[in-house]
Amino acid sequence: MNGSALLEGRGVLKRFGGLCAVDKVDFQVNEGEIVGLIGPNGSGKTTLFNCITGVHEVDGGEILFKGEDITDDQPYQIARRGLARTFQVIRVYRDLTVEENLLLSRQWGEVPTIRSFTRADRSLHDKAAEIADFLLLGHHLYDKAGILSGGQRRLLELGMTLMPDPDLILLDEATSGINPTLIETIKDRIREMNGRGLTLMLVEHDIRFISDLCDRVIVLNYGKKMADGTPDEIKSDEAVLEAYFGDDGGSDDA
Amino acid sequence: MSRHLILDNPAVRRAGLLLTGMAVVVLAIMPIFVVERGQEGFVTNSLLFSFTQMFMMIAMASSWNLTGGFTGYVDFGHAVWFGIGAYGTGVFMTKVGLSFPVATAGGVVVAVLAALLIGSATLRLRGPYFSIAMLATFVAMREIIRIAKPLTDGGEGMTLPPYLNRPLFFYVTLILAVLVVTMTWWLRRTQFGSTLIAIREDEVGADMRGIDTTLHKITVFAISAAITGLVGGLWAYQNTFIDPDIVFVERRTLDIIIATILGGLGTVAGPVIGSVAFYWLRDLMWSHFLHYHLIVTGVLLITLVMWVPEGIVGSLSDRSGATPLGRLLHRDRGARPTTSPADDSDSDDTRGGES
Repeated sequence: MNGSALLEGRGVLKRFGGLCAVDKVDFQVNEGEIVGLIGPNGSGKTTLFNCITGVHEVDGGEILFKGEDITDDQPYQIARRGLARTFQVIRVYRDLTVEENLLLSRQWGEVPTIRSFTRADRSLHDKAAEIADFLLLGHHLYDKAGILSGGQRRLLELGMTLMPDPDLILLDEATSGINPTLIETIKDRIREMNGRGLTLMLVEHDIRFISDLCDRVIVLNYGKKMADGTPDEIKSDEAVLEAYFGDDGGSDDA
Repeated sequence: MSRHLILDNPAVRRAGLLLTGMAVVVLAIMPIFVVERGQEGFVTNSLLFSFTQMFMMIAMASSWNLTGGFTGYVDFGHAVWFGIGAYGTGVFMTKVGLSFPVATAGGVVVAVLAALLIGSATLRLRGPYFSIAMLATFVAMREIIRIAKPLTDGGEGMTLPPYLNRPLFFYVTLILAVLVVTMTWWLRRTQFGSTLIAIREDEVGADMRGIDTTLHKITVFAISAAITGLVGGLWAYQNTFIDPDIVFVERRTLDIIIATILGGLGTVAGPVIGSVAFYWLRDLMWSHFLHYHLIVTGVLLITLVMWVPEGIVGSLSDRSGATPLGRLLHRDRGARPTTSPADDSDSDDTRGGES
């Protein structure tokens, strides 16, 4: 905890037409931390994730990962630096098997050499199997991801972020549409991954989930950062209570 | 899971493979029994010619399927590589005086270079925009060939050194078809292959997982162009005469797209089954309904697209829940949701026990 800054944003700005979706936000994620990112619907959480991962080009500010400027990198370059993410709307490949889905997340190591025209190394297959077991998907390893349930697909996405041994994982609503038992499983797994030294940043609507897991919480409202502190500090912040808990607690976000 | 579907049964797959192998062996010994013109017999030179055309269609449909089926970039101008291969071979043979194998290799190289150049522009477009851009490329190339008269003899066309050996072309194209299909089968199993599927299903997602999607798209595009360019070269030599209008025919692209969709888009066996079915179907139409064969073909295609949108292979394998024919064939499956990622959340563990 409280290591040096792994991910840092300085005045990150993103506009959609006249709307300022992310309004000059400064943030920091330190090595070994689990940081929560919360805020009412449309407050810019997913947009901020998209700015970090290069999906959106930012209109201002800069983003540093491991001290290097990644603001203008392509998404695939950012992923290769060791920053993996999951998605609010699940993005697994239904026509590929669970194993292929997992392997896919680090095939870039071999491309574009001639080795990409071969099957993956034994060690990678072993690793995929290990991760599938870790996420209770071991018995589905050779099934197409299309037959998995929603919750299992969320777990698979989590597994896909683990494959390349990232330094930081961004989880975008890892628990939406998941039953309570599986949420506990996901929570356990996140703790275990964090225990192994992985840093995480989570967008989440489930406040219990956030306060159980996170060392620190950042609150966004209308694209602006309105609070940054421990879960307890956030819970007692009047402005946050009004903006966030006073609002409806739905699950949609731009 | 979905093991109860016909093509998902390993025994059926093995049987299919065995049958295909036997068909290839039968085909391979067929030219031995060829009879001369006027003699009685089944194996005529024109039958060998028909098979040669079919093998070419299989090779081209399989190569189109790499971009159109696996990667999801539906190329409406694929025959441009056929044309470049044909003209490359023609120019290298007649203007440079190279032998056929060297000239064809040269034609393939030109096709690959053109694909790298054109692909790095058009592959930035997606969906219908890519399709239209490729159609435009195709039409433009025909005019370029017509205008480049000093090199291509323009609209007058070009005559290649005649070489009338039907069995040779038969064998070369048979081997080519077998190699190309084997290659696509292998490719689908490699990391490269699953990356292509990932690009088709969710390109942005693949990008965010560290995959340089542009590089993959251009690579597969070039492989596809090389195969079809090679077919073009063979076709030119076999036909001995090429001009822009008989080489650059829109119909050629259309035929291989139809064959692939008929067989099963994005599957290894699809282009093969589709090409065999479509080739002989078209042959039948020509010979029996010469005057209105296009109408019959058209009606047939509309019926196919409505009833078997996933093709023959798709309808018999585990994606069939989505097609009318698939549902008809596999009623017990009911309407298993195969699409929406939001079908989510219910009962996470029930399906786990089935596999």
